[in-house]
Amino acid sequence: MIPAQFEYRRAATAEEAVRLLSELGDDAKVLAGGHSLVPLMKLRLARPEVLVDISRLPDLSYVRGDDGDIAIGALTRHHDLARSDLLARELPLMAAAAGQIGDPQIRHRGTIGGSIAHGDPASDLAGVVLALDGTLVLQGPDGRRRVAGRQFFTGFMETVMAPNELLVEIRVPRPTATGWSFQKFNRRAHDWAIVGVAAVALGDGKAGVALINMAQTPIRAAGTEEALAGGASAADAAEHASDGIEPRVDINASRQFRRHLATVLVRRALEEAGV
Amino acid sequence: MGLSSYVEMCGLAPSRVLSALRYVAGGWDSSTVRLLPTGKVQVVTGTAPHGQGHETSWSMIVADKLGVDPEDVEVLHSDTSVAPHGMDTYGSRSLSVGGTAVWLATEKVIDKAKLIAAHQLEVAAEDLDYASGTFSVKGSPDRTMAIGAVAFEAFTAHNLPDGLEPNLEATSHFDPPNFVFPFGTHVCVVEVDEETGKVEVLKYVAVDDCGTQINPMIIEGQVHGGIVQGAAQALYEEAIYDDDGNLITSTLVDYLVPSAADFPSMTTDTTVTPSPTNPMGVKGIGEAGTIAAAPAVMNAIIDALSPFGVADIDMPATPERVWNAINGAHTGEPSARSNGTEAAR
Repeated sequence: MIPAQFEYRRAATAEEAVRLLSELGDDAKVLAGGHSLVPLMKLRLARPEVLVDISRLPDLSYVRGDDGDIAIGALTRHHDLARSDLLARELPLMAAAAGQIGDPQIRHRGTIGGSIAHGDPASDLAGVVLALDGTLVLQGPDGRRRVAGRQFFTGFMETVMAPNELLVEIRVPRPTATGWSFQKFNRRAHDWAIVGVAAVALGDGKAGVALINMAQTPIRAAGTEEALAGGASAADAAEHASDGIEPRVDINASRQFRRHLATVLVRRALEEAGV
Repeated sequence: MGLSSYVEMCGLAPSRVLSALRYVAGGWDSSTVRLLPTGKVQVVTGTAPHGQGHETSWSMIVADKLGVDPEDVEVLHSDTSVAPHGMDTYGSRSLSVGGTAVWLATEKVIDKAKLIAAHQLEVAAEDLDYASGTFSVKGSPDRTMAIGAVAFEAFTAHNLPDGLEPNLEATSHFDPPNFVFPFGTHVCVVEVDEETGKVEVLKYVAVDDCGTQINPMIIEGQVHGGIVQGAAQALYEEAIYDDDGNLITSTLVDYLVPSAADFPSMTTDTTVTPSPTNPMGVKGIGEAGTIAAAPAVMNAIIDALSPFGVADIDMPATPERVWNAINGAHTGEPSARSNGTEAAR
């Protein structure tokens, strides 16, 4: 439970963080809230030589309207998402999901940027961003670029981010419909979801649906979304929740049980979202 | 709804019984009670508290019997250089065996103090009453001597009865004549999600009898912790090994110990049936919850699933096991046995 030795650098600006990451290459990891990375380091499953602490970068903690999007700074804590008036009004799905992460201590430390950049398939907020068709803003040595959430996750704890890129902002289009649902199935209240579902109604019987901890990455329930677009009922569409997905297996659920849970939870989510 | 009634055999134990059971050690416990010349009291106990509140309960026993303020009683324990004689804390034995030794040693101290007080008040010992920390002469209630003053006289030894050793200190080694037998009944109400197999405890009521109660708040705390530990055995905690014998539930991320958020508020009550095997009439309470809760929770689950013909589910009743039981299915259990992804998180 004691991490391997590492060096610690604190960046004062996003530019300095990117410069440090460029110098240090693969030896460095970004530290934000530390609630995903530090446990891995304590188990010595992660052994970065250097931590680049971005937690005190100014101006990266915000939730604000920005044209047709809602823009969220990467260092915004889960607690602040859960308590955001703007999210409560316009993106209650995000606020609800953030309010169910871990326990109060975790929500006061963990950040949305860290949760997403970590690439964990069980990240609730990653699922929410996928369901809402969000976009991630990355800052690198050559400036900023935007990556669609759907293209961001490439494998188990792997993303398209280069070692010297920093996730600085999460952008989500303001929803046009109002129905939403967040389903989190776990055994203990503060655990990761065994399977989670983030769903948002899109009108005309369609929905954006993402599955959490179901595959090697957070993933859209494409089979369900297509079935809905083709006019299927919520219950019928839910039967396709894990189409094309090879479910993860762990001590909490076999492949078959995860598939079953996905179907049940997607159906409940669609019903709650009024799809 | 699930019901669980139990009678526990605890307070280990008569040493001769342990011998018959081929235990190496005996089942007595010991205590030394020492009045300091300052009037403060030191209690040495052979029990080894690690959360059971012996410091509180033992000082209450001594303070109550001696008639002093519990704040003036210091309980020393767990260091063999201070408390070399003891048989430890396990098997709900600390109060009924170790606590009784404290009670008996306190009584010996009072008996000796009475000899000194009688000598100094120039009356026979049997003519003294002892109450609220003060000896008084029967029929002459204004002739008194406080226990603190007796302790100081015992320390200076200027004026003790012939042949009486200085200082007020006594030791008792109590070997119980029998076990003690706490009992109780617990009732649990659960709701099972038929679709997912998730079990939620809706209500839990426990009524336990641990005999005479020294500190009801500590008793309730012991019951609360025990119930959740027992319920955790029924619902959460499991040591899982992979095919190569590696423990894959080696952290508290994987080995599920519940928190307050996972269990409803409990309703607890007690009846009081004093034990006849020790002078205070006390029994044990440390294991009441762990004994009763696992069967109460499991019986409730089985009861809820009786419409599906389910008569048995292995503990812990995980969502997948419950779902399998409902569907008569066998998904081969949650098997991370060839998959380290959870640990890699």
